Amino acid sequence: MKTIGRTTWAIPGGHIPLRSTGPEPDFTINDELCILNAGRQDAKVEITVFYADRDPVGPYRLTVPARRTRHVRFNDLIDPEAMPLDTGDACIVDADVPIVVQFNRRDTSQAENALLGVIAFPVD
Amino acid sequence: MQHEWRNWSGSFRFTPASTEAPAGEEELSKIVQRAAAEGRTVRVVGAGHSSSPLVQTEDILISMERLKGVESHDTSVREVTIKSGMMLREANRAFLDLGLALENLGDVDLQSLGGAIGTGTHGTGKRLHILSHHLIGGRLINGRGELIEFSMERDPDFVLAARVVLGTLGIFTALKLRLVPVFHLHRKEWCTHIEDCMANLDRLIEENRNFDFYWYPRSDEAKLRTLNFEEEEQRAIPYARCVKEMSGWSGEVIPRQRELRFDEIEFFFPAESAPACFREVRKRVKQRHRKNVGWRVLYRTIAADDAYLSGAHGCDSATISLHQNTMLPYEEYFKDIESIFRAYGGRPHWGKKHYLKAEDLKPLYPLWDRFLEFRQQMDPEGVFLNPYLGEILGCERAASLRA
Repeated sequence: MKTIGRTTWAIPGGHIPLRSTGPEPDFTINDELCILNAGRQDAKVEITVFYADRDPVGPYRLTVPARRTRHVRFNDLIDPEAMPLDTGDACIVDADVPIVVQFNRRDTSQAENALLGVIAFPVD
Repeated sequence: MQHEWRNWSGSFRFTPASTEAPAGEEELSKIVQRAAAEGRTVRVVGAGHSSSPLVQTEDILISMERLKGVESHDTSVREVTIKSGMMLREANRAFLDLGLALENLGDVDLQSLGGAIGTGTHGTGKRLHILSHHLIGGRLINGRGELIEFSMERDPDFVLAARVVLGTLGIFTALKLRLVPVFHLHRKEWCTHIEDCMANLDRLIEENRNFDFYWYPRSDEAKLRTLNFEEEEQRAIPYARCVKEMSGWSGEVIPRQRELRFDEIEFFFPAESAPACFREVRKRVKQRHRKNVGWRVLYRTIAADDAYLSGAHGCDSATISLHQNTMLPYEEYFKDIESIFRAYGGRPHWGKKHYLKAEDLKPLYPLWDRFLEFRQQMDPEGVFLNPYLGEILGCERAASLRA
């Protein structure tokens, strides 16, 4: 398996509405990172979150083991601090080895759910 | 030049006029005598883990860091006397060397043992008490600088007052503890939905030596933690998946490392009313606070005791605590949920945030006035009072010291 991806990715359009519809956690409204590490070395990943009216927060650190994927809800990030809901945000994802990053949104603010999935912007 | 002092979470800070680290009781006695003579005040610092400003002073701050070690022990009756400056982690190790242990521990072991005892710190377990329950005697320097020796045999009422004391009767120099034989536990952590946890709560509490759960407000999931003796059969929890397990002696497997700093508020409730209180807290957090609150809510249980100012005084209890990252605002959240805590007759953890004053607290503790009598006897001039203690105890310093 050859190494694929990039080491820096950008997602400018984050926003987690406050109200969910449906049983949780399956239908909790969320923004989600899907990270693929197809390489043979564990990926040390750092996420920095940007806001409109204050300094960036981070890094949020996590590991994606070699040849594995990891899905992370932004809602669940608490270290160094919980992200505010109902607030526009953006993030940069840095890794020490190439990874592939997808951004998903599950919007359950009304009973008719909406799903969005896009590949993040590969910076380098 | 004095350095600014800050607590573990960084939520309060102050600069004392001076910091003293006496090497023994005689030196400590002289410091207190001098303070009393000069109309000054004294507070003692432990590990600084508390997030209530019990330690705060702009006057003399005492560190007991030079008073450490086991002073005496009699393992046949499981009694150990230690110097009061020992950290909880150090004390656990010393007890282990003697084949003894505290019957329970809290979620962390970062505190000083004196501080943990003085604030009524606890772990979880229906049949397990707050840490102070081990205290059966010791020595302290009172507000006149006198060395006082006390014991359960001679002064049981005084010991019950001294078990949760907030540093107001004096400065402990030695703590005599009755411990339990060293023991090993098997720890498991499980994930499930909060509704499954609550539907089985009584059974989980009853069937496990130690049980608590965290509720995660942004997913409605719960993490259950069960600890049982290694030699016992380890029960499965069919509606939860085990995500972690480990075995070891109690001092190793009960407390965990906590790198991420937080502020915390915790209240004690009669065990039978705590589930309803938790349900109301959960509803309120989801309605009003989820925008800024992503961290967990902790539910634990504690056996009844008879320490005068213990949160579990007179009734088997459960506690509910809220956590918030230190970098995020907490007051609006804590104050709003505290209104629910108070509606359920909750008593605050003395070492954590709360917004109650003496007039709110007095009705919660049947022996409140008796405690204050002991405080007045031991420290009539208020050498050990700071403004915060004055507010929560309803005490004023002697007129001669207020100028």
